Amino acid sequence: MKFTLNIWRQNGPHERGRFITYEAQDVSPGMSFLEMLDGVNQRLLGNGEEPVAFEQDCREGICGSCSLVINGIPHGPDQGITTCQLYMRRFSDGAFITIEPWRAKAFPILKDLVVDRSALDRIMQAGGYISVNTGGAVDGNVILIGKDQAETAMDAASCIGCGACVAACKNASAMLFVAAKVSHLATLPQGRPERARRVSAMLEAMDREGFGSCGNQYECEAVCPKNISTRFIANLNHEYLRAGIVESSLPSEPESPHAESS
Amino acid sequence: MGLAMTGLGLVVFVVFHMLGNLQLFEGPHALNGYAAFLRDMPIVLWAVRIGLLSMAALHIGLALQLSMRNRRARPVEYTIHRYRQASIASRTMAISGMVLLLFVGFHLLHLTAGVIDPGFADRRDPAGYRDVYGKVVHAFQNPFMVVLYLAGQLGLGLHLSHAIASSVQTMGFEHAALNRLLKAFGPVIGLIVVLGNVAIVLAVFFGIVR
Repeated sequence: MKFTLNIWRQNGPHERGRFITYEAQDVSPGMSFLEMLDGVNQRLLGNGEEPVAFEQDCREGICGSCSLVINGIPHGPDQGITTCQLYMRRFSDGAFITIEPWRAKAFPILKDLVVDRSALDRIMQAGGYISVNTGGAVDGNVILIGKDQAETAMDAASCIGCGACVAACKNASAMLFVAAKVSHLATLPQGRPERARRVSAMLEAMDREGFGSCGNQYECEAVCPKNISTRFIANLNHEYLRAGIVESSLPSEPESPHAESS
Repeated sequence: MGLAMTGLGLVVFVVFHMLGNLQLFEGPHALNGYAAFLRDMPIVLWAVRIGLLSMAALHIGLALQLSMRNRRARPVEYTIHRYRQASIASRTMAISGMVLLLFVGFHLLHLTAGVIDPGFADRRDPAGYRDVYGKVVHAFQNPFMVVLYLAGQLGLGLHLSHAIASSVQTMGFEHAALNRLLKAFGPVIGLIVVLGNVAIVLAVFFGIVR
């Protein structure tokens, strides 16, 4: 198969980017999208040109590294998969494919198709954890929970933090990401003690990073490689309202449990 | 959150406004009596009017503030952007909102304040009430008014079909079994309000109510 690729090239965070057209030749229909790009890069290297920078790691849809907007859709035309799980047989021979990076103020472009997604890490640092004493691991099944609770928590926890929700959102909002993380922990007994503080802290961190707000268009859900439902966003809003009520009636909480003790 | 709450407040108003208007089908006595009943309580009437106007102002202000923030969240646009499932209504909230604002302004000047087409402003019916019925019937015999009001209702229907379900989501109502019902709730309420209002306009225009 042959393809014409229109790829965003940008040398650095503060440089001006532009589209450059490349030809991808001798592509097998069984190649993944990233393998096709590997082929293009191989040829560029052979010609002494700079290869196209894109992020990748596991190539089996679990790490959340790959992040390409393909013909206007994050992770490409298929639903419930990452870019690395997209195969070239999905495109017709000779197709013109436009490849862009995630575009959001909170995700500055580092180079070509690679963006800095550490904003999501900082949201996690603000509250995406539970505080437990170190020591031996607690035995499994010490705290019994219902099957439905376990399933709901697992559905939310399947978020791999790729940021496609932000990329697809008209407002570049990270609500689905935060919703998945907050819902995952709020559904489990281990996450309950810090429930109110967590949701406020994570939403504040989200605002600080410059993400937009949720307009309930549900584009995020449609591109999520893990099919995370926007019902978790309703759940996040519920948690936030609840936190507003709970926190106003609690004595002020101690500083972050991870702060250095003096 | 504020956008959702002020929006839902305004939704409650349009529902009752439509229900009140439907009394047109009961004849001049019912509608004019209802109008007189509302005007008999000036304190309540003005409290509601001021409440509605400030809610609308707050709603517009918050919408502008949010959309400016959202625009800043993506300084460089995509060259190609394709929607996967966002509804037409959800993509045109700003446009339908502006259509609604223009329409509400016109409607207030027309049927409430009587600045536009002032012929009926002070006419009384045989019972001594203000002749709201006559004013409405006169207005919608004019095809120009019918087109304007139908356009306003189109804006209202589009806006509500996204707005109500969206507000429910923003207020954090969510239930595994009821979600589909909650999602359908918005378009259905929007449709009922629009159909009720359109029925009045068309009934007059086609001479069913005269």
